[in-house]
Amino acid sequence: MSSFAYAVPGTKDEALALLNELGSGARIVAGCTNVLPDIRAKKIAACTLVDISKLAELKGIDVRGDRVIIGSLTTINELLHSDLVASHGQVLWQVGRRFADPLTRNRATIGGNLANASPAGDGVVPLLALEAKVIVASLAAEREIPVAEFLTGPGRSALQPNELIVGVSFTKTTAMRSVFIKFGMRKSMAISLASIGLMVGLDGDRVEQVRIALGALAPTAIRARQTEDYLTGKPLAPEVVTRAQEIIRTEAKPISDVRASREYRVHLAGVLLKRALEAALA
Amino acid sequence: MELQNEITVSVRINGTQFTAAAAPEESLLEFLRTRAMVMDVKCGCNKGDCGTCTLILDGQPVKSCLVLVAQANSKEVWTVKGMALDPLMQALQESFATHGAIQCGFCTPGMLVTARSLLADCPQPDRAAIKEALSGNLCRCTGYKKIVDAVAAVAACQASARVQGGRCRVWKQQ
Ligand SMILES: Cc1cc2nc3c(=O)[nH]c(=O)nc-3n(C[C@H](O)[C@H](O)[C@H](O)COP(=O)(O)OP(=O)(O)OC[C@H]3O[C@@H](n4cnc5c(N)ncnc54)[C@H](O)[C@@H]3O)c2cc1C
Ligand code: FES
Ligand code: FES
Repeated sequence: MSSFAYAVPGTKDEALALLNELGSGARIVAGCTNVLPDIRAKKIAACTLVDISKLAELKGIDVRGDRVIIGSLTTINELLHSDLVASHGQVLWQVGRRFADPLTRNRATIGGNLANASPAGDGVVPLLALEAKVIVASLAAEREIPVAEFLTGPGRSALQPNELIVGVSFTKTTAMRSVFIKFGMRKSMAISLASIGLMVGLDGDRVEQVRIALGALAPTAIRARQTEDYLTGKPLAPEVVTRAQEIIRTEAKPISDVRASREYRVHLAGVLLKRALEAALA
Repeated sequence: MELQNEITVSVRINGTQFTAAAAPEESLLEFLRTRAMVMDVKCGCNKGDCGTCTLILDGQPVKSCLVLVAQANSKEVWTVKGMALDPLMQALQESFATHGAIQCGFCTPGMLVTARSLLADCPQPDRAAIKEALSGNLCRCTGYKKIVDAVAAVAACQASARVQGGRCRVWKQQ
């Protein structure tokens, strides 16, 4: 008999009661694009697969006041086809076309990308730039955690075993220009060697406000705060960009792995910043 | 709530209902190949990287090795074989053959399913859109150019058929 069990709750509360009861013996499954390969690779063993894919409460993209709320089961393909996301959270929409491949995008969910907490996860980078909050529920309460605090390390998050991600929310942002650049070994189905999500408000070529999120360049996706501070208020002149590149290279804290060395990734941080700023100006 | 170590799954495969027991961690791909004996869905990598296991689930092309079979319960799947009578699929198959878009043929079922889904949604894709749509399907033999040629040729034929009164009818799921 299989060492796995399967349960398919019909409501969010049923799912939460089950998570409460099973604790770390439960494994939430959504799109399964991480979970099934992990089961095959024996990284996940003997547990109860709690299938949340039927929960209507975790679906849909809504606007409430000045906030955009995205259900955790929203697939990357749905993000890509959402006018709301394209106009109010453009940087998240831009990630869609660089995420995995069209077949995988039909299954992969934004909640799964967050919970997976990969340092190279592409969905979390734009959410950091959007200063999004992760909406997390347990039987006892619902709480909102800023993405920056949600991601606590490679593969680690602030999520407790009895909690599930209901969705993410962020404030509508239309005034800023957005750029997302993913640097991988090929155009499609590539794990990011480095990625950047940029949101910038410009007055001519002067930076009024800027948010820079980096992927695969530290143990979690990070904001490049010092680079942001330096750029704010300055015109995007060549010498300013060069200095910003130097600063961002000191903020990046990547590892060496099979895909790229630490030095190469640090170099990429500077290259991607320059390309992103140029794209925002164009 | 009931925790099940063995589940019963019922899937409508190419128009015919099929029911069997399955393991909780079983993928749709494993279920099709080992229980339903549907062999035209190929298993290349079993971890989402190659696209040989592509089929249509809920009207969308997906990699079946990335779908828990329990999640396909009560749903409908279509594989390349189930589309044998579909004019658009037939046009693609013919075009793949005449363009030399098949060598060993292992990637072909998945390629065809993805290509058909693209042309049904977007009848006149340019080459960039064709490449993008097929980017989850790997081919170790052809170098892709002939595959893109084959799909582009059907797109062009569809466009002229529409002008002549729509001979290339789009296959509809029942
Ligand atoms: C071929 C391929 C290409 C890929 N390319 C990319 C890429 O380009 N960029 C990228 O970032 N990722 C990529 N991935 C990884 C993966 O697709 C994403 O991380 C995806 O977003 C995971 O979502 P899912 O719904 O499939 O998660 P699942 O596999 O269902 O779950 C992943 C993890 O999250 C947990 N979880 C899921 N939903 C919730 C929830 N609502 N609440 C709490 N926990 C939850 C699960 O328990 C599990 O630990 C790729 C994967 C494959 C197979
Ligand atoms: S067998 Fe499914 S993607 Fe390779
Ligand atoms: S023809 Fe051999 S893999 Fe494509």
